[in-house]
Amino acid sequence: MGSYTIPAVQDMSIRLTKAMRLGIVGESGSGKTTLALAIMGLLEKRASVNGSIRFAGTDLQQLSEKQRNPYRWSRIALVFQNSLDVLNPVLTVHEQIWECLVRHTTLARADAHETVVSLLESVGMAAEHGPYYPHQLSGGMRQRVLLAMALSCDPEVLILDEPTNALDAVTKTDIINRIARIQQEKQFGLIVISHELQTIARLTSRISVMYRGRIVEEGPTGTMLSLPLHPYTRGLVHASPDINPWRDMWGIPEESETSEFSESSEFSGNGGCPFVSRCCQKTDICQTRVPSLEPAAPERRVACNRGGIVTLLQGTGIHKHFGVNGTSVRACQDCCIRVRSGEAAVLIGESGSGKTTLANILSGILNPDRGDIRFNGEPVVRSRASRRKKGMQIIFQDPYSAINANLGVEQAIREPLDILGQDLPEHKTASVIRALQQVGLPVDDHFRRRKCHTLSGGQRQRIAIARALVMDPAILIADEISAMLDPSTQANILRLLKGLQNHHGFAMLYITHDLAVAQKIADWVYVMNHGKIVEQGDARQIFTNPAHPYTRKLVGQHFPEITRKTGDIPSSCVKNKPYVITRNPALAKAA
Amino acid sequence: MNAARISLAIILLVTAAGIFSQWVAVHPHNLPSGNALEAPSPNHWLGTDDLGIDLWAQICHGAGVSVLVGVSAALLAGIGGSLIGMLAGYLGGIADRITMRMTDMMIILPDLPTMIVLGAFFGPGLINIILVLALFSWTGTARIIRSRILSMKQEQYIAAAQSYGAGFVHLAKTHFIPGVLPIALASIIRLTGRAIVAEASLSFLGLGDPTSKSWGLILNHAINFKGIYFMDCWKWWIMSPLVAILILVGAFAILARENETSAVSAFQK
Repeated sequence: MGSYTIPAVQDMSIRLTKAMRLGIVGESGSGKTTLALAIMGLLEKRASVNGSIRFAGTDLQQLSEKQRNPYRWSRIALVFQNSLDVLNPVLTVHEQIWECLVRHTTLARADAHETVVSLLESVGMAAEHGPYYPHQLSGGMRQRVLLAMALSCDPEVLILDEPTNALDAVTKTDIINRIARIQQEKQFGLIVISHELQTIARLTSRISVMYRGRIVEEGPTGTMLSLPLHPYTRGLVHASPDINPWRDMWGIPEESETSEFSESSEFSGNGGCPFVSRCCQKTDICQTRVPSLEPAAPERRVACNRGGIVTLLQGTGIHKHFGVNGTSVRACQDCCIRVRSGEAAVLIGESGSGKTTLANILSGILNPDRGDIRFNGEPVVRSRASRRKKGMQIIFQDPYSAINANLGVEQAIREPLDILGQDLPEHKTASVIRALQQVGLPVDDHFRRRKCHTLSGGQRQRIAIARALVMDPAILIADEISAMLDPSTQANILRLLKGLQNHHGFAMLYITHDLAVAQKIADWVYVMNHGKIVEQGDARQIFTNPAHPYTRKLVGQHFPEITRKTGDIPSSCVKNKPYVITRNPALAKAA
Repeated sequence: MNAARISLAIILLVTAAGIFSQWVAVHPHNLPSGNALEAPSPNHWLGTDDLGIDLWAQICHGAGVSVLVGVSAALLAGIGGSLIGMLAGYLGGIADRITMRMTDMMIILPDLPTMIVLGAFFGPGLINIILVLALFSWTGTARIIRSRILSMKQEQYIAAAQSYGAGFVHLAKTHFIPGVLPIALASIIRLTGRAIVAEASLSFLGLGDPTSKSWGLILNHAINFKGIYFMDCWKWWIMSPLVAILILVGAFAILARENETSAVSAFQK
């Protein structure tokens, strides 16, 4: 086998000040552990480390192994990723920690025994556990032992590598709480490496997100998790049920097999943005240019050629009124709305609040009295944004009206392509077949020739979705598309849409009066009442801690149990009442 | 359904008789073939006129003229009216208002007197007759089609197609024409019957094409024959074109009604 090098960490800079709590997140294989080992100087000989690692002004890279030793453990300690072989199998727990103390501190051998006991207690273990051998301990206990060892020398920087990996919720919360408390007491610098966002959210104040050995985004923990700026960060947040427990989980789509960029070219560093093959907003420049970390918002930096997640659709100051019998009905008043690339924004409000009017204005079907609508920065005038591929598509509420019942299935789906007149007939048919497959309908000739009036409402709604999909939209406006469907069909269509969105990365503005549905799919929520957008925010915040009285009323009516709680971290609710599913009041009472 | 089939058969028979009149009638329609004012007999099925020309031959020949005038005037009015109605409904606004006021005007004008004036003004001739008839028949169709287009415009598939950048041509081709075809067809059939009657009336009054030998002209000729009621000859000379008109127009009326019924039930499906 030929030898080759893989850059596990590239061009990475982090800064840790005293008592700062930094989180490093990323999928497995993103180089998190390599970074930790490099800081500790523990990488094997065949790995080469370039750059400088400065600790209180000293460049650790310039030191010899011997000079470096005092820094390890006593000043920078690392809690290894939990596994059986991290601990010495022939030493007991007590002996391991004791050895660590004796070797790295000036403690007398006898005094060290007492310190071991107090260390064990501080991480939640009893002194009786001292004589145990590592293989006799559970995973949670081993994690505590590792933590005690790292804390033994009272380090100035503590690096935790996956501290809560594979632990149950109770142990996890206990360990997290202990680490947080000890950090508070001792004020050491903390680097938490994890792919568990819940752990990161509890332990850190800043986050760096790593992908393929590079930092793609960094910023304060709170805003990073509620409004990620890099598609990768957002993907991580969306894949974590701890952040928003109601939303369906969707992982970041895997790299497409058709990617022109082979592994080697990506690793050699000239293949453009490392995230390009999984990104939903890539452009030509992303194939060739490696983005650098640039400031994007206060205290936030993001490495993206497009400056982070772009705003696809922006409506500002939209006004619309209708004259009815001499009186004027103000359907939209100063509405501002923004949909970012790859995002599922949900517009909720009761019927008659002006949702559909706003949707029609945004999609260019209706002209606003006043206001500015921009799609990708260009003003939306009539069909300008919707009559092209990669544009904006709207799906209507009523499938019986949205599809001409006298058309055949293929004819109905192909209509936009026919109007566009760009593709060859066989390409059109291929697009139609692809769209039919995507929405889960038959693709045979017989079905494609069937008249739409022979189909059910759910099938017609799928046809309407397929018709939007053949245009390969960048944003989809879905106006109450499931309101007229039975619950099962509604569930199928919603999952279908979310799945398609996750796979193709288009943005979606979903308009509904159904809060339960909104909870399932929303990343960002707009609340509309009497033609005004009264509140907007990240979905978890709107549903747990609504600010506007109307939102509170709306959420309170739908989910009485949510507004009663004051805490805003749902995971803590889960911890306190692990067996009570409070969504159903009857069940809650029974429990 | 049977009534529609029978009336369609009658219409086709009359049309065929008109087209193949030379073979259907043994005698020529423009030369005397017997004595003047012969009563119906095996030789002359419907008798002869004052010049001894066979009436059966004249009726067969006139059938062609009547059907031609009726169908072409109805097609012209139906297609033109549909197009105008479609455009008025699609464009809306000022174009719609102008067309609708025009149809109002056409509706309050009494047809026949105006047709008489126009017929006299443009002079006799088959084409002129067709044009004048079409000019007075498009309004109804236009109004019906317009109202249908207005209701179709409320459908979201039109909004969707427009959002893909569809213009009038695409909308008409894909949505409007297939949507209005049944009602357009119904009104064309109804117009055909009316046009045949109108042509006969104009010809009867002497305003038709004097060389056309249509059924109205035979009537006109018969009525103008001095002393026609003194003899029995009115029984075949006047009655035969009259009955021919009645049969053909009746057939069209029944076909129109049956077609409308089936179109309505198709809509309700």
